[in-house]
Amino acid sequence: MYKAVVSFLGRDCPGIVHAVSSLMTELDCNIDEVSQTILHSEFAAILIVDVPKALALETLHAKLEAGLKTRNVDLAVTTRLFDGVKWNDGAAEPFVVTVDGPDRPGLISGITGVFARNKVNIENLKAVMPGGKSNGQALIVYEVALPHHVDPAALRAELRAAADVLQVRVGMQHRDIFEAVHRVQPV
Amino acid sequence: MLTDREVLSTLNMLRNEHLDVRTVTLGVSLFDCASDNFDTFADKVRAKIHRYAEKLVATCDEVGDKYGIPVVNKRISVSPMGVVCASFSPDQMVRACKVLDEAAKAAGVNFLGGFGALVEKGMTRGDRALIDSLPEALSVTDCVCSSINVASSRSGINMDAVALMGETIKAIAERSADRDAIGCAKLVVFANIPQDVPFMAGAYLGVGEPEVVINVGVSGPGVVKKAIDRAMESNPNRTLSDIAEVIKRTAFKVTRVGEIIGSEVANRLGLPFGVADLSLAPTPEVGDSVGEIFQSIGLSSIGAPGSTAVLAMLNDAVKKGGAFASSHVGGLSGAFIPVSEDSSIAAAAASGALTMEKLEAMTSVCSVGLDMVAVPGATSATTLSAIIADEMAIGMINNKTTAVRIIPVPGKVVGDLVSFGGLLGEARIMAVPGGTADTFIKLGGRIPAPIHSLKN
Repeated sequence: MYKAVVSFLGRDCPGIVHAVSSLMTELDCNIDEVSQTILHSEFAAILIVDVPKALALETLHAKLEAGLKTRNVDLAVTTRLFDGVKWNDGAAEPFVVTVDGPDRPGLISGITGVFARNKVNIENLKAVMPGGKSNGQALIVYEVALPHHVDPAALRAELRAAADVLQVRVGMQHRDIFEAVHRVQPV
Repeated sequence: MLTDREVLSTLNMLRNEHLDVRTVTLGVSLFDCASDNFDTFADKVRAKIHRYAEKLVATCDEVGDKYGIPVVNKRISVSPMGVVCASFSPDQMVRACKVLDEAAKAAGVNFLGGFGALVEKGMTRGDRALIDSLPEALSVTDCVCSSINVASSRSGINMDAVALMGETIKAIAERSADRDAIGCAKLVVFANIPQDVPFMAGAYLGVGEPEVVINVGVSGPGVVKKAIDRAMESNPNRTLSDIAEVIKRTAFKVTRVGEIIGSEVANRLGLPFGVADLSLAPTPEVGDSVGEIFQSIGLSSIGAPGSTAVLAMLNDAVKKGGAFASSHVGGLSGAFIPVSEDSSIAAAAASGALTMEKLEAMTSVCSVGLDMVAVPGATSATTLSAIIADEMAIGMINNKTTAVRIIPVPGKVVGDLVSFGGLLGEARIMAVPGGTADTFIKLGGRIPAPIHSLKN
């Protein structure tokens, strides 16, 4: 067995998770982990699967595409070997960075440039329109891992400078405060 | 991953609803500084406060920055100085107060509490010297606050002390007449004072407390008001049960914020964490008012009929939510109704909607008592004592903390505006009920403690 990363992207409809998982079963592949989401009408899933040695990665890819076609499911498939190597820059603290203000092109790239320069890894990213599309206000939530060698005050200042250029507000807080306020668990 | 609601809700609490940690208070025991040599005492006090408070402000700022929630006030509470300085004369007490004031300023805190005494059953020479020093001590210092406990449910009311406090308050008012009697804003007379209050002016470090401790006072009247407003907007048919639930849940969130920040400050300073005080403490800022909560629940203003019922519900819901959020809840915990410090309460008092009599009735269910009430300068010492006695009686009989922070402003009459500045706010002079209590107060002695069976 070897591990592969397989991702699926396409229009959402009932039955597509069953189509993907039954195909995997047919191919003797075991789904290790899966993350699936829907954005508006679009379906996306990423799977880590155990694949029999006899089934080459290229063959797996071809059989998945063919199998989806026979099931009338329109999903784009990508496959690659999973090496399990995680990006690691030593110990890090979880912070939440929020950016809110008028939606505009370049909002995400402007802020993520600061993260990239400081080697701050984004672990989760979500952009929403809390007041609805007509409202024109966007809220972008980044859950990031802040390496210990990064000074939070300096990063916050850099984020503020980027936010000023984009004319949006930015906030950066330790993740624990969100959990403490909303979840019943020891603080 | 955090949900959108979790992120949005926390952001709203921070940005639009005045969520903050109102105060982190470092309690420092000064019992080991006691000495009959003033210089030895002063050196020890300076050194000890400096040793523990040196990093307090910076640590609070760092932790507040980490969580994006400011710690508005950093304060110090010390052991009751009537005990620590038992051998001092009134003049030495004034000097001791100055030492504390300098130590507080050096530490960068805005108030230091504990220049007080516990005299509910009787008064030592040290206690008396401290009380006698108050007019001078509170006039020549800026940061030091005093609390005198004159009654308890177990000991009764020390009416000699009550009488003395009426005279002392008058004397303090005269000594700080040029600043609207601001000295009186730094003195509270208590019944059943808790020993771990982080809020001023009543803060002090009790006898059963550790050497050093961090207590935290969370606030958030603005958050509670906005939560009620949102709930009413989403469904106008909500009942008071629903509103009580909203307050309870909001108090939980607010208290969790205080708990996490207080614990981390304590950890970073290597000190034990004491209690979270769940009080809703207003500021003069619009949107950070306890009085506005009454309007959100359907009263024309605080003081209107129904106010006592609303306050009782508010106090209880705050305690219920907060108690689940923190392992160690203490202090006063409930809703403060300080007249000058709350724009909405001050407005109600100015318009006549809130009278002294109604305020006193409300104190039977609030967190503390008659707080920051400015009265005519001509109010006699015995009338002040009688007002204190009434409030002490409410606390004694009901097994609750009550207090009086009353300010007879020299030269001012009913309706005049007095301004104390900053967090202390401003208010119109309130009318004091008629009649006299001169003979009653002069009787002195002690009102016996009540019986605890046969309750009704």
